[in-house]
Amino acid sequence: MSSESSKKRKPKVIRSDGAPAEGKRNRSDTEQEGKYYSEEAEVDLRDPGRDYELYKYTCQELQRLMAEIQDLKSRGGKDAAKQKVDAYHLQLQNLLYEVMHLQKEITKCLEFKSKHEEIDLVSLEEFYKEAPPDISKAEVTMGDPHQQTLARLDWELEQRKRLAEKYRECLSNKEKILKEIEVKKEYLSSLQPRLNSIMQASLPVQEYLFMPFDQAHKQYETARHLPPPLYVLFVQTTAYGQACDKTLSVAIEGSVDEAKALFKPPEDSQDDESDSDAEEEQTTKRRRPTLGVQLDDKRKEMLKRHPLSVMLDLKCKDDSVLHLTFYYLMNLNIMTVKAKVTTATELITPISAGDLLSPDSVLSCLYPGDHGKKTPNPANQYQFDKVGILTLRDYVLDLGHPYLWVQKLGGLHFPKEQPQHTVIADHSLSASHMETTMKLLKTRVQSRLALHKQFASLEHGIVPVTSDCQYLFPAKVVSRLVKWVTIAHEDYTELHFTKDIVEAGLAGDTNLYYMALVERGTAKLQAAVVLNPGYSSIPPIFQLCLNWKGEKTNNNDDNIRAMESEVNVCYKELCGPQPSHQLLTNQLQRLCVLLDVYLETESHDDSVEGPKEFPQEKMCLRLFRGPSRMKPFKYNHPQGFFSHR
Amino acid sequence: MVTFQAHDGPVYSMVSTDRHLLSAGDGEVKAWLWAEILKKGCKELWRRQPPYRTSLEVPEINALLLVPKENSLILAGGDCQLHTMDLETGTFTRALWGHTDYIHCLALRERSPEVLSGGEDGAVRLWDLRTAKEVQTIEVYKHEECSRPHNGRWIGCLATDSDWMVCGGGPALTLWHLRSSTPTTIFPMRAPQKHVTFYQDLILSAGQGRCVNQWQLSGELKAQVPGSSPGLLSLSLNQQPAAPECKVGSARGSGDPGRPGCVDRSVTTLLPLGPDSRRQQLQGGCLYQSGLPSFLPVLLTSSNTPTSISGV
Repeated sequence: MSSESSKKRKPKVIRSDGAPAEGKRNRSDTEQEGKYYSEEAEVDLRDPGRDYELYKYTCQELQRLMAEIQDLKSRGGKDAAKQKVDAYHLQLQNLLYEVMHLQKEITKCLEFKSKHEEIDLVSLEEFYKEAPPDISKAEVTMGDPHQQTLARLDWELEQRKRLAEKYRECLSNKEKILKEIEVKKEYLSSLQPRLNSIMQASLPVQEYLFMPFDQAHKQYETARHLPPPLYVLFVQTTAYGQACDKTLSVAIEGSVDEAKALFKPPEDSQDDESDSDAEEEQTTKRRRPTLGVQLDDKRKEMLKRHPLSVMLDLKCKDDSVLHLTFYYLMNLNIMTVKAKVTTATELITPISAGDLLSPDSVLSCLYPGDHGKKTPNPANQYQFDKVGILTLRDYVLDLGHPYLWVQKLGGLHFPKEQPQHTVIADHSLSASHMETTMKLLKTRVQSRLALHKQFASLEHGIVPVTSDCQYLFPAKVVSRLVKWVTIAHEDYTELHFTKDIVEAGLAGDTNLYYMALVERGTAKLQAAVVLNPGYSSIPPIFQLCLNWKGEKTNNNDDNIRAMESEVNVCYKELCGPQPSHQLLTNQLQRLCVLLDVYLETESHDDSVEGPKEFPQEKMCLRLFRGPSRMKPFKYNHPQGFFSHR
Repeated sequence: MVTFQAHDGPVYSMVSTDRHLLSAGDGEVKAWLWAEILKKGCKELWRRQPPYRTSLEVPEINALLLVPKENSLILAGGDCQLHTMDLETGTFTRALWGHTDYIHCLALRERSPEVLSGGEDGAVRLWDLRTAKEVQTIEVYKHEECSRPHNGRWIGCLATDSDWMVCGGGPALTLWHLRSSTPTTIFPMRAPQKHVTFYQDLILSAGQGRCVNQWQLSGELKAQVPGSSPGLLSLSLNQQPAAPECKVGSARGSGDPGRPGCVDRSVTTLLPLGPDSRRQQLQGGCLYQSGLPSFLPVLLTSSNTPTSISGV
């Protein structure tokens, strides 16, 4: 322990010595190692009892000395003055303290900001102007700012009270008005169902007055779902019907829901796809669909029609109606039409008139060359190649005919050379063709119906000549129409006397062919007739073959040629009153007259005995004329004689 | 090919002089300049109408004949008379009448200036131009050898070679000796002939049927040259020495005046005239065979006439 304490003390001693002791460190260390504090060294040397006695003595001395000082202090020679001074000192301090305190109070008071200064008072001039005298008290307040301020504050209070009053009133007003508004709103909302019921009730009245607004409105609603070409058609035909032609009526048929379903959002279809995938997997496990069936499905898909269709009804003068239904084939971007003719009375169809009103051919060649068997869109050819469809002709019965005028009415214009990428429906194209097409449709129906009636009569051997066309023919016509039948196109081309017409390209497969037989006595005249679908603006063509004393056709007899000319070329005289539905029957009647003339003007054969088979009954100026010895085929009315042209 | 409308009605006959083409049809004869014909909008030089008796109907002119010695033109047709017209003055000098029915054809007998005319009444009459009287009448149908009653008695074609005459039509095509008025050879052609002409030692005829027939004087058929028309109404010969350009005129009348766009099927075919075909230029132009253009009602006109005009 002692060694530890000496070691502890060692650094202390070394530091007090400082640096110069460093050099002698080793020596001092060794020296001090052996040394204790000098005191302790002294203590070791002295006697402890003596130390204690010394210490006691010193302490007692100290005590005594302190007491002496004390006494000296307490007793002092200047007690009273000192006390006074002290008292005054104390007072002074007290007062000073009070002063300080009061000063603080004063500054506090001076710093005091009254709330009233924060209020924005009206300016003095305004105050004196506005405030009532009992508040402003001008004589008092002018001189006294305190009073003035008080007065101002009074006025402020007064004003605020008033304004608070007003505010309350306004609030209550507002409440009242709000309540009124509520009431009125309720009233209005109760009106809506009443109006609806009135509209419902007015429907019968609308119908009675022929103002089907409701119906039209519904149609316009449905029309929004039409594909563009059908929409163009709908709009244009409704417009035309309203403006020009009251006998036209337009309606939309088909299912609107299906049309909406065409534009289903993709999420639904994805769900469907996953379902259908699952289903498909199942079915493929059972049986794989054959390639043919797949192709068939693809074809069906390609030829799919839009679910909505536009139905057009054209009413003609004699109450017969042409019903046209227009469809839109979505993938092919073309429109087709199906036609049907209904008459006011039931028609008994004569055998030869079978094709006249058949839905397949009644609208054929409305415009020349428009036979409606081929698709008008050149791009379709590529689509057809993919699914193996040769032509649209096979599907035409089912889908309707894609006539060119139908495309034009829908505003679709297909250029002839290259297939365009997108052909969009154009209103102006539709409008420009509308009137002509409608007129053509009407004349077509009427001429077909007229022919229908005439055929019925022709099959019975009677040529129905109306009274206003009687002047074209002499009163007595002896030759009779014996037979009127329809023949096929191939049969016509095989006849030996029709070669010229076939070579001239006038006998196509869109025409209708008939054979008429006129007889008088032993003479038989065969006439092969080509009826163009555009009858009666395009006249029928007759080719003749006479069997009497040999066979005479236009190849070997100039007069037969002249007869053909009378009937075919001079058809304008035979048209009759517009519309020229009487053309065919007049031509047939003229044919009979010509046969009469021919037979009667034949020069008498002197070598043969007996009278002439056909005595001359016609009045003729000259029997023969010209180097080809033409017979007088021209009938002159009213004189009633025959002459040469 | 140049075509233009020459007449309102059909054109039944044409003749040509050095500078002029004369055409006649429904009652009028018109003259055209050859030089003008090829230009557009050709107008006739003059037109004349012989004085007709009847006023009900304008008779047609079926035949024209040039008489070069007198410089006159003879017209014959529907009014059963022969009219002579002076080409210089344009006046009608004579009217010869004797036919009972209309006249089909005319022929000129060079040496003694006589005109032969054949008509519907079946008679061939010879007229002396100087005396303006009928000299001889041959009623063909009365002769049994050549008459064919089922065809009629009309004389459609005449040709004469001064002593000889060929005529045909209703009766069979026959060669006659004029002085004795006897038929010498009958040509076995069934179809009535519409035109006949002498050529060298052959007789050429054409009529119903496609072909041009070449006969020898003995009555044998030497050759039949087919054409393209179903029937032929007139023939003419081109005899000229290898000319580089040949003006062919063929006219067709149109029965229906207002119709444009006539399709002409009458083809002008060249007749191979035998091994030594000399070609001499006839005065002015030459007329070729033409046929009845075929009848296409919607496009065409009714044509019931003989000749068609088109300049090449």
